[in-house]
Amino acid sequence: MRRLRRDRAALVFSAMLAVIALALLAAPFYASEIAHTTAADNHLTDTTVVDGKRVNVVGLDSIPLGPTWQSNYFLGADYNGRDEMVRLLYGARTSVLVGAGAVFLSFLLGIPLALAAGYRRGRTDTVISRLFDVLWSFPALLLGVLLSTALSLQGVDIGPVSVGSGSRLIPIFVIGLVYVPYIARPLRGQVLALREQAFVEAARASGMSTRAVMRSELMPHLSGTLLVLAPILLVNAVSLEVALSFLGAGINPPEPSLGTLIEDGLTKTDNSPHLLLVPSIALGLIVLTLNGVAEGLRRALDPHGALGLGLVRGE
Amino acid sequence: MIVFAARRLAAAVLTAWAASILAFILFWTVPNVDPAFWLGGGQKGTNQTRALATEKYGLDDPLPVQYVRLMENILNGKVDCFYGCANLREAFLQALPVTVSLVVGAALLSIGLGVWLALICVRHRGRWPDRLITAAAAAVYSLPSIVLAALLWAFVAQKWGVFPDEGYVPLREDPFGWARHLLLPWIAAGLPFAGAYVLVVRASLLSAVNEDWVRTARAKGMSERRVIRRHVLRTGLIPPVNIWGLDFSHAFGGFALYVETIFGVPGVGSLTADTIGTFDLPPIVALAIYLALVVVLASALVDIVVAWLDPRVRRPRAST
Repeated sequence: MRRLRRDRAALVFSAMLAVIALALLAAPFYASEIAHTTAADNHLTDTTVVDGKRVNVVGLDSIPLGPTWQSNYFLGADYNGRDEMVRLLYGARTSVLVGAGAVFLSFLLGIPLALAAGYRRGRTDTVISRLFDVLWSFPALLLGVLLSTALSLQGVDIGPVSVGSGSRLIPIFVIGLVYVPYIARPLRGQVLALREQAFVEAARASGMSTRAVMRSELMPHLSGTLLVLAPILLVNAVSLEVALSFLGAGINPPEPSLGTLIEDGLTKTDNSPHLLLVPSIALGLIVLTLNGVAEGLRRALDPHGALGLGLVRGE
Repeated sequence: MIVFAARRLAAAVLTAWAASILAFILFWTVPNVDPAFWLGGGQKGTNQTRALATEKYGLDDPLPVQYVRLMENILNGKVDCFYGCANLREAFLQALPVTVSLVVGAALLSIGLGVWLALICVRHRGRWPDRLITAAAAAVYSLPSIVLAALLWAFVAQKWGVFPDEGYVPLREDPFGWARHLLLPWIAAGLPFAGAYVLVVRASLLSAVNEDWVRTARAKGMSERRVIRRHVLRTGLIPPVNIWGLDFSHAFGGFALYVETIFGVPGVGSLTADTIGTFDLPPIVALAIYLALVVVLASALVDIVVAWLDPRVRRPRAST
């Protein structure tokens, strides 16, 4: 922690992360109190006041307002007259939430599997590692597209769990599953090395149960790795969400996500370049910030690169 | 070497087989996806048409029988689509060279640029060119390639018309047109990777710079340029090569999907993306299996090339 505080670049990125997080959390407040609209409200025939003049939100030639830099339509409107700033905040919120949910799910599934494989070794290890090898040999995006199309066809009903076809839980589940090997592989290697150490042997010899050894002896040593892995994985999860939504296999329009916003703005640069620039710049900033934080954490917790956690690119 | 290649190809076949089982599970056993419902006319179907579809497509057969039949259909390219489709295998094989052009070009661009810039960094290590390149590489690495692709297409190709905004020309017909159509996709796909590779290669080369044999070479009076070329580069490139292998093989099911969609390049990526848009599950699964085959084969080939370059890999690895 002290090393992190002395790292000026890491501090800047952490501050940026805090600002982004606050902005995303404040999306509903911004929508209701400042912009007085929602992410879904169309304003095709409405007017608004810009610089004291009354103008159409969507012009008679059906070209929407560009950025006004005022409280309403700060970043302009889209072709349905929706406030782009509100849609951006909600969209980025969705993308980051889906990414964070997916990372959480990956940890939830990956940590026990890595512990079991690395600590028990033998047949358990073989089965789990082979499974990871198969998942690993699939590109993340392809696997995501495949899973997500299969699940979104009619929604999912497993016993008491019922998820509609447009739910956010589907991309969370899909992305979380895809990245399990990206967590479990480095963790397993670490567990394999740790289990040979004297303190683990001592714990085992003193009659501790396997589960207790994993929880109180192994886990504390893995927390550093997890802390370094989390933001790296979040970058990849958010990027994957954007790619999936862009391809129509993630968040479904009209619900905004950075992916659907980019898809929407892609063909409209002739008259409304802001529709493509706004989500692109936002995604770039989010990825840059998370990468900066990840790099800072890595420098602080793993200064010699001993964990072997290089750049994970999982698209 | 031949033993290694054979073993690696056998592993590839096993992985492909596992992938096909995974696809089959997805295909026929995902809850709520009832093939009889879709093949029996979807929403408009009746119980009678569904029963007919069950009979016709053998949906009541034991799962292993259905698995074999599905794989036969997929390999023949004649999948029973929910809405109907053309022969997928032909379409896929026609689109494959396009994607190979895209992926190989992007890989050459990113690796070439990455190694070249990393070498400059190492030659001037610790001084301003090093710091400048490292910072720029970190920034470029943070540029999502989907954003880069979208911006390049929308502004450079579509709005300003500097490059064609869709289509493809085969290399053999018109090499210049081929490059003109693919230049922006290459940049969009390759540049972020180049940023990552600069950082990876630089770190790997720097750790080789202080090795004993490098010091010996310097002590012999070799020029710094020659030391880096002959001694640092050879050992320093081994770790990055493995990363390149993974990225290269994954590219076929990764950036190819959105880069080809955005630039309107008719490769396997846009074929897959178009099929996703139809929500027709069987052809999507078939295409995914084709892509998985390409990925598995490409990664096996890369591994064999790496083993050919670096004899140490050929020996069976001690369990890590």
